[in-house]
Amino acid sequence: MGPHVFGIRHLSPAGAWYLREFLDQVNPALVLIEGPSDFTELIGELGGKDIKPPIAVMAYTQSLPIRTILYPFACYSPEYQAILWARDHGCLCRFCDLPSDVFLGMEEKREERERQEETESQEETEDEAETGIYEQLDKASEDQDQETFWERTIEHGADFYAYQRGAGEFGRSLRALTFTGNEKPKRQLFKDAQNLVREAYMKRVIKEAVEEGIPMEKIAVVTGAFHVEGILDMGTILSDKEKAALPRLETKKTLMPYSYYRLSERSGYGAGNHAPAYYEMLWRGFLSGQPDYGANRYLTGLAKFQRDHGNMVSSAEVIEALRLAYSLAELRGFKIPALRDLRDGAVTCMGHGHFSEIAMASADTEIGTAIGSLPQGVSQTSIQSDFYRELEELRLEKYKSLTAQDLSLDLREKLTVKSRKSAFLDLERSFFLHKLRVLGIRFATLSGNRQENATWAERWVLQWTPEAEIQIVEAVLKGDTVKQAAGFELKSRIDAGSSIADIASVVEEACYCGMPSSLSMAVSALQKSAVDAASVPELADTAMSLSVVIRYGDIRKLDREPLIPLLSQLFLRSCLILVQECVCDDQAAQRIGQAMNLLNDVVVNHEFLDEERWNRVLSEIASRDDLNTRLSGLAAAILLERGQMEKEELGREVERRLSRGIPAELGAGWFEGLSMKNHYALIARMTLWEKLSDYLDTLSQEEFKRALVFLRRAFADFSSEEKDRIAENLGEIWQVNPASVSEVLNGVVTLESEQAEEFINGLDDFDFDDI
Amino acid sequence: MERQNVQRLPAEQLFQEEIDTLIANEQYPVPTGWKMSPKSVLTYICGGKSGGMEITPKYIGHKRLVEIAISTLVTDRALLLIGEPGTAKSWLSEHLTAAINGNSTRVIQGTAGTTEEQIRYSWNYAMLIAEGPSKRAMIPSPIYRAMEEGAVARVEEISRCASEVQDALISILSEKRISVPELGIEVPAKKGFSVIATANTRDKGVNEMSAALKRRFNIVILPAPESLEAEMEIVKTRTAQLAGSLDLNAKLPEAEVVEKVCTIFRELRRGVTLDGKQKLKPTSGVLSTAEAISLLANSMALAGSFGNGVITPEDLAAGLQGAIVKEDEKDGKSWEEYLENIMKKRGSKWLPLYEQCKELNR
Repeated sequence: MGPHVFGIRHLSPAGAWYLREFLDQVNPALVLIEGPSDFTELIGELGGKDIKPPIAVMAYTQSLPIRTILYPFACYSPEYQAILWARDHGCLCRFCDLPSDVFLGMEEKREERERQEETESQEETEDEAETGIYEQLDKASEDQDQETFWERTIEHGADFYAYQRGAGEFGRSLRALTFTGNEKPKRQLFKDAQNLVREAYMKRVIKEAVEEGIPMEKIAVVTGAFHVEGILDMGTILSDKEKAALPRLETKKTLMPYSYYRLSERSGYGAGNHAPAYYEMLWRGFLSGQPDYGANRYLTGLAKFQRDHGNMVSSAEVIEALRLAYSLAELRGFKIPALRDLRDGAVTCMGHGHFSEIAMASADTEIGTAIGSLPQGVSQTSIQSDFYRELEELRLEKYKSLTAQDLSLDLREKLTVKSRKSAFLDLERSFFLHKLRVLGIRFATLSGNRQENATWAERWVLQWTPEAEIQIVEAVLKGDTVKQAAGFELKSRIDAGSSIADIASVVEEACYCGMPSSLSMAVSALQKSAVDAASVPELADTAMSLSVVIRYGDIRKLDREPLIPLLSQLFLRSCLILVQECVCDDQAAQRIGQAMNLLNDVVVNHEFLDEERWNRVLSEIASRDDLNTRLSGLAAAILLERGQMEKEELGREVERRLSRGIPAELGAGWFEGLSMKNHYALIARMTLWEKLSDYLDTLSQEEFKRALVFLRRAFADFSSEEKDRIAENLGEIWQVNPASVSEVLNGVVTLESEQAEEFINGLDDFDFDDI
Repeated sequence: MERQNVQRLPAEQLFQEEIDTLIANEQYPVPTGWKMSPKSVLTYICGGKSGGMEITPKYIGHKRLVEIAISTLVTDRALLLIGEPGTAKSWLSEHLTAAINGNSTRVIQGTAGTTEEQIRYSWNYAMLIAEGPSKRAMIPSPIYRAMEEGAVARVEEISRCASEVQDALISILSEKRISVPELGIEVPAKKGFSVIATANTRDKGVNEMSAALKRRFNIVILPAPESLEAEMEIVKTRTAQLAGSLDLNAKLPEAEVVEKVCTIFRELRRGVTLDGKQKLKPTSGVLSTAEAISLLANSMALAGSFGNGVITPEDLAAGLQGAIVKEDEKDGKSWEEYLENIMKKRGSKWLPLYEQCKELNR
């Protein structure tokens, strides 16, 4: 005869509820729970009164690569309720599955073997599509989703017996389906074998308990529905020899606060569920004895969120949504609507058919923001141990002191040392410190001005504070290790980023942190938002920062290939809209001018960009009369610098731009634009000065005064040496002594007081209005 | 009327046999006023089997939306089908009423000239003058009749009606009765009465529906075909039908051509490449499946009349340019971006089309 076994599904409110009923009936002396048996020592803490779920138990290896195994518990987890029940009834409670070190040891062996096979056969084994039993269930169920199938058929079952029989049947069929069939992928074969070993181990634990003196009928086992049959038979039990042969990897365990958000991120059976907050509502429904509590609470919660965020939702709409949900459930032959029905009802009645209208509300109501908490002093979190391990690895421990210390890093490969690890030690340190910076852990601050474009040197100031410790503990909500947490942080920045500049900064951060996966995520997000970005300056800034990463990123050993098409796209987009944006006032022209210079820099540095297109765009800007003249001038200057404008063409342009009839400020503005670029390229072109001289000759006295203001401004940026050269040029044209011209040009204007007064009076008459 | 002489039969006559089979093999409870159970309606629309007979699917894909639509009508709420042109709104509404009532002809075709009388009731004026107001002199609207019979009425293109005409529906839908003050009577709606309205989202010059009216409807938005394969199937069959009746003298487009057109349309419509990896700028046009069909027919006409009867990249490029770049200058730029960023990188299969399109879009 076997023990009492109750089959559950992890994270199932109905399972938790009926399990308590089951335990009340059986009244066991020992409760065994499916979960690594070495976690048993944590049961006391898990059942503690100060603990607020969601929480998780995690085991992790000490050596690289870090492997983890995680068991999350929500308040509606049957396992958690079993622990509470045992606590309240003063009965023994243990975990009975394989210990975590065996789980992780098996995982390592599996990967080792896969690697071997790969090298032997050279065939793609990774690519095997996941056609596990749950995917098959997804396809087979009417809703195309096994979670909905479970919710409809078993979660909303009528009573204790319905649940027990339903879950039992579910587990049996699942088992039958899993263990039959041939030509299964290797992974599945491994899982099958693992399941059998786990069951044999669980039976061993039961046997040991019986030997300890607990009668079989006083033992209750809480396990996944799948295992019920395998345990009930009490057949094959793991022998001592077999137990000793199991692979092991040394692990550490920790309890950590968990969040509903992370719970919802891990999809699939067991490890998480999509809608933790909704499931908690179902749990509250059981507690309050109202089977329809979940449905009502969900829709009213949705409506409340909408109202709080300024969207009108009437009670009538809530009622209609509920009616529709019931009607949808009925169409499938069920009494109580599942989450899917409720959501569809809400979309139709509250969201006017658009899911997007209630997307925020549904995320808030289904997933929620609940975060678990642990009392002070409970075990060290995984991220803390990861942090200390990294410190040791990177030889940074001595910096963990309360006094600030400097650390200079040279990111280049050190050729003098032998091992690869020490050759890149500084680079790895930089990656690590940047990750801490991204996470807001104030242990290291980047100091000094990082020289732009020379990215191989970094200076850091390291100082340890108790706050840093707290910040590290808080970061556990973002991930189990420093790297994971930084990845999570970058991802949430991408999700929150609204402008292209925000996301471009994530691209940079991912480079600094040396995280290729975050980098590619940021790149694809950037690609998406680049489509909507409208303004040229923004595009140019982004293109420039990408360009810098592409040019200098190899120091950080990153694959920059994916950035190339993105840069091309940004560049193309800039080219397409640049001409239109040149219709603007002088203030905006300033920014666009900068953008044009940046874009030109980018084109010069990357051969893969369409240079011809850039030249075409510039020529168009240079030749059109209806754009901001300053920008037309600048475009001409860039073309000149790039050697794309002939002498004759320049002469023609100067003549046209400065011809009589063109208002002086426009002409001078154009000249100002022209001189915004390379001064020497201008000075060296005699034609330009000849035309300028001719132009000045055509002006009347009044016009000359006007033009003078602009020309003065245009030449303000020229150094005195450059002015000398201009003077020489003009002197040659006017055939006067260059030295005396220069003297006049560079000389300080000194006026006798009488003269000055007269001059200033004269200026009063001058009309500055329209300048 | 002789069946053969009619250009297009109403759904309930066209699929008479299927409806009869479904009714004969009914296994589930039938709501008051309905001819069959909601489950059977679903089978009628989405296809399946009934009593050994194969029921053809009338609406492909998005079964869940059909479920929502049917459930809405079960709760006696009015149903509003919204969608871009060519997403089978009217088609779905016709088949829903055909299955539910066996009669899809209680329909008001909404136009800018639709008046309130056409929603409620109007009079036979000769008789009105001769006899004074009487039941005989009254001409009930399709909605009026549906209320009397406990059936589902249809309002097509509701957003084309003037807003005061739309307003007339508000009280009908909330009170579920029409009063006729001239006769001093009030007609309550029988159980089973409901309204299915359709509205267009993208057309310009339509009257935005008021929030009050929208609140009285359960809104279901019909999207463009779900997958590339589904859309290609629709385009292929409809192009073949169209070509047959128009005598285009050209070969039917190859699967590859259809695939290209559908790919371009889908990508520009959704603003993202099919693999979901790259976002792009959508154009201002609707680019519906219907447009893809007419584009191909147009290309066939070009090939048939001026070419050798086989659609060349040139014919296709001309069609694409016309369909995608409407008068808006922005469309030209979006199209160019699409050509450069996406089509150019698709390899040799796309190269001829890319070059022709680039040539035309200068």
